[in-house]
Parts: sequence; structure tokens; C-alpha cells
Amino acid sequence: MDSWIHPALFFFIGSLLIPFVKGKTRTFLILLIPVLSIMDVAVMREGVYGSFNFLGTTIVVGRVDKLSLIFAWVFTIMAFLGALYALHVKEDGHHAAGNFYIGSSLGAIFAGDYLTLFIFWEIMAFSSVFLVWYRKDKKSIDAGYRYLLVHVFGGLCFFTGMMLYAYKTGNLVFDRIGQSGAGVPEYLILAGFALNAAVIPLHAWLPDAYPEATVEGAVLMCAFTTKTAVYVLARGFPGFEVLAILGTAMTVYGVFYAVIENDMRRVLAYHIISQVGYMVAGVGIGTELALNGACAHAFAHILYKALLFMGAGAVLYMTGTAKLSKLGGLYKYMPLTMIFYVVGAISISGFPFFSGFVSKSMIVASAHEQGRLILLSLMNLAGIGTFLSVGLKVTYFAFFGKEAPIQAKEPPKNMLWAMGLTSALCFIIGIYPDALYMLLPFPVEYRPYTLMHISEMLQILSFTGLVFFLLVKKLAPEDKMNLDMDYFYRYGGRAFMWVDVHVISVIDSYWGELYRVLGLKVLFKNADISYGFDRRIIDGVVDGSALGVRGIGGVVKKLQTGKIQAYMGFAVLFLVLIVWFIIRGM
Amino acid sequence: MNILKCIELLRSNIKALKNALIAYLIVLVIFDVLIHLGVHGHYFVDNIPAFWTMFGIVGCFLLIKVGKGIAHQFLSKDEDFYG
Repeated sequence: MDSWIHPALFFFIGSLLIPFVKGKTRTFLILLIPVLSIMDVAVMREGVYGSFNFLGTTIVVGRVDKLSLIFAWVFTIMAFLGALYALHVKEDGHHAAGNFYIGSSLGAIFAGDYLTLFIFWEIMAFSSVFLVWYRKDKKSIDAGYRYLLVHVFGGLCFFTGMMLYAYKTGNLVFDRIGQSGAGVPEYLILAGFALNAAVIPLHAWLPDAYPEATVEGAVLMCAFTTKTAVYVLARGFPGFEVLAILGTAMTVYGVFYAVIENDMRRVLAYHIISQVGYMVAGVGIGTELALNGACAHAFAHILYKALLFMGAGAVLYMTGTAKLSKLGGLYKYMPLTMIFYVVGAISISGFPFFSGFVSKSMIVASAHEQGRLILLSLMNLAGIGTFLSVGLKVTYFAFFGKEAPIQAKEPPKNMLWAMGLTSALCFIIGIYPDALYMLLPFPVEYRPYTLMHISEMLQILSFTGLVFFLLVKKLAPEDKMNLDMDYFYRYGGRAFMWVDVHVISVIDSYWGELYRVLGLKVLFKNADISYGFDRRIIDGVVDGSALGVRGIGGVVKKLQTGKIQAYMGFAVLFLVLIVWFIIRGM
Repeated sequence: MNILKCIELLRSNIKALKNALIAYLIVLVIFDVLIHLGVHGHYFVDNIPAFWTMFGIVGCFLLIKVGKGIAHQFLSKDEDFYG
């Protein structure tokens, strides 16, 4: 079969159609988009599609192999669950931003060259930021701008690396890079990828922005950005030692913050850093088992992390807060939400019969196999912290603990269905891991259910539980926020403003004074001459051009309505125009 | 609702629940000692019975103490710290 439809197309076209339909048709369309894309992935054959020459380099839009397919599977499944969870959202722009975000991440994983990857990479950043902005309060708008600036910085690292790489090798083919031959270009690309994977110290954007996103947007964001980055790292940089070390450091760093954090969704955001750390470490270890583990863990992680964000989002949606210090006793009002959340929590912790157990352990086992006991014990330490914070702390203080004066109900049906389905998937992967293992890029010999492994995990988790209940008073959530690396760029920004106000503007005003005294006389004289020239000659030649410019200005003024929807609409229109010009030019 | 009743039942028998969980922990350690009989792994972590029990206790204790300690020393700030 030679024909191949890029699954991103369903999302791009679909999101443009959503504003034009209403009621049941709209619901149907929102769910149909991911269903079509899942079917598309199901019939897809391995191969190279959509390859053409552009300005002397080969562009590959569709590289389909086992590595890109497993990510396509989980991305499209997640797209369906996310759409179901967000069905009640009325803003068309929210759905459109989500679909553009998902579509572009699919574009990124099928890209066979750096240029295509870069374009989708940037669309991802610029569409996902709307999922933060749609929360529409000042904190979210600020966090969104920081998110965007950091990603633009990462994109620039990637872009510079890409250009230097093209200069060095003469092509833009995106394939495995060996650690020994890697120089500045490769490491710049690596830095751009690492920023999206929230590798420390480039991680602060994640716990800064995700907890400020909309309830439904956060569910999508936690799945796609970091996992697209894991994919490109697994594709380009397996076996890089720096990734093994930083990845393991991430696992512990994330849980450390999760233990002390108060906001439910921020706890979960720090756990993304921790869990992606396992994947990055797996890529860094670079053996077949480790890479399989990284992919399997990405798959499992997307589902249970989305489930956790759905649960926390449901609490935020129904009670208006996600702060643990203000919650408590919710099991009475939201028992189903609690059960689904707990399924996510024991999946992420790696309890036997749930998905984390069969995926995370592959990476831990690969560290064991390579005799890297420090990595192994740090990963297991992070496992303790995972259960401690996501499993015990959040569950205890939000759903049990001291009863807070909050009355809540279960969330809308579509949210419950999305959580229920995701829970079922976490359980199915746990009891039937072969369903996941057969999608992995390398053949799997690893068996998760050995007595040793079950005993190891149960000991770690159960005794974590014991210590938790002994020290539970110490863990009481506090109404505080915790400093992180964003301190530096937030204060960096302020330092820049200070320089601007106190240095540049002072120089500017002196300069202005000098100009006023000395320059003005000369200028007047000059102006006289050029006025005459302008009036007699230029106006004669290009009569009416000034009026034309004023007219365009009027149109632009109308475009700037200050509404997010309108901006997005124009941005999309503009994008379509650019694409049309490129195609016409070819 | 059934789920609610189950939880209420457990909460009203908290003492029995505690005892059951302690018994479970003891069984877990015995189980690990048993499966280590006659097994020889590559590394020391594989050969010490109940190694991960100790690891779990010490690790969890350290995470809470060190985490909260550092937080109270200098990481924790008021919610409106950045303004």
C-alpha cells in the first residue's frame, strides 16, 4: 500500500471545522477527529512517505517505523481521551488550539528531517500556550508568556544547532547521532530537545505553566510536549552519557519538589519531570532494553499522568481550588473521582497489576543489567518519592484528612467517562503487558512478573506507606510556594527592566537633550530642503502612496480586536496563506 | 453508595485495619527472606534479604526530612512572592 494520510491532517482540518458546527454535530466532530486518526494509525504500514526536494535538501514528512508508530498510537489514543474529557468546553478556540497542538506533535514524530521537525516543534509551542491563556486570569497570562519565551529560547538553540549541523554535514537528515562525533551543533540541538523534555536545569517552565493552564488544557499538555521530546531524544541521541546522569537526577529532583509542594497540579507537574527523567535516563543508557523501556514508559506515563491530571482537574473544576491546604474529606462528595485518581496514583507508583509496574521497571532493570547501581538506587528512591507524594500525600490530604468546609459534586459525565476509560487502560496494560510490548521498537525478552521484582516493589512501596503514616504530621501542606530555577529568569527579567529604566533611559534622556540643543537646528534646515524635495518630486512620482499606507493601517487596526479567538483565527489564516505561497512557489 | 459505605466501614474499624496492615508488612518481609534462599544475584542489592524494606524506610524518612528541611530553610516563600 503506497498511500499514506498524515494523521496530523485530521487535527488541522478538524479544528478549522469546529467553529462552523453546533450542538450534537459539534460533539460528534470533536470525537470523530481522534477516532479517524486512531484508525489511520491502525492501518499504517512502515515506510517513508511524503519525501521531496526543497531548496536542495530532502524533506521527509512521513517516516513511519516502529519507534514513530508507538508514539503515534499513544498520541492518538490520548487525543481521544483528552477530547472526551474536554467535551463540555464551549470555546471553539480551546478545541482548535488543542487540536493544532496534537496535530503538530504528530507532525514532529513523523518528521524525517530537521526542518520539518522544527516547523512542527514551533507550532506545538505556539498552539499549546493558548491552553494556558484560556484560563484567562492574570497569573495564567503571565505564566503563558514565560512559557512561550522559554520555548522560543529552546527553539532558537535547536534552530542554531540545525543550521550549524547543515553547514557541517551538508544535509538535514534527522537520524541517530553518535556520541563520539558530536560537537557544538549536535549539543545545541540536544539542548533544544532537552528543554522540551524538561531536563534540569532547563525544566522550570513546566511546573510554572502547567498548573496555570485550563483544567482540560493541562490534561493535553502533560502528554505531548515532553513525550515528543523523549521521542526525538530516543531517535537522535541514544547512549549519550549526559542524558543517563541528568535523567536520573531529574527523577529525584522532581519528587523532591513534589514532596514539599502544596498545589495538587503542581505536585503532578513536578512528577512529570521525575517520570520523564526515567525515560531520559533510559535513552541515555541506550541499550535495547533501556530504549524499549523509555518507549514503554512514555506510553504508560501519558495515560496515567493524564488520568492524574484529570482527577486533579476535576477537583479544581468542582471546588475551585487545587491547594491541598484548602482541601480535605472529598471522598464523601467525589468517590468516583477519588477511585480513578487512586488508580492513576498506584499506576505511577508502579504497583503490580498496573501500568507503571511493567514499564518503569524495564528502565530500572536496564540500569541493573549494566551494573549502574547508583542510577538504580536513585531511581528507586524516586519511586519512593512518587508513591509518597502522588499516592499518599495528595490522596490523603485532598480526599481524606481533615474535612475542609467544601461541598462538591462529581464532575460532568464526560469527565467521568474519560477518567474511567483511562483507568481501564492503565489496568489492562498492567495485567496484559504484551499488548504494550509488541508495539516496542525492539523485540522484548523482559518479563516483569518475577517473584523478585514483585517482592522488591511491594517492599519499597509498603514501607514507604508505613513511614508516611508515622510522619504524616510533618507532611501537612503549607500555604507556600517554592523557589525553583525560574527564579533566575524572573529576576533576570527584572534586572533587565532595571537596566532599562535606570541606565538605558537615563542615557536616552541625555542623548535627547544633546539632540535637542545641537541636532535640532541642523535638522530643521535639513527638513526644509527635504520637504521641498518631497513635495515637488516624490509626490509627483508616487502620488497617493501615503493614502494607501494609511488605508492598510486602518485594516490592521480592525484586526487587533484584543480577542484571543480572533487572533487565533488570523494566525491560522496567515499560516494558510504562507503555506499557499510556498506551494505556489515550488 | 457502595464505595462510600466501604470507606466508612474501614474508617470505623481503624484499629483492625492497622493490625492487618502491620501483619501484611511482616508477611512481606518473610516472603522476601524466603525467596532469597539459595538465590545468588550479581550485585549485593540482589543478595541481601529485605534490602528494599530497609531502603524504603530510610529513603522515605530522608525524603521527608531533607525535603521539608530545605523547604523551611530557604525554598518556601509566600504565595505572592513574585508579586
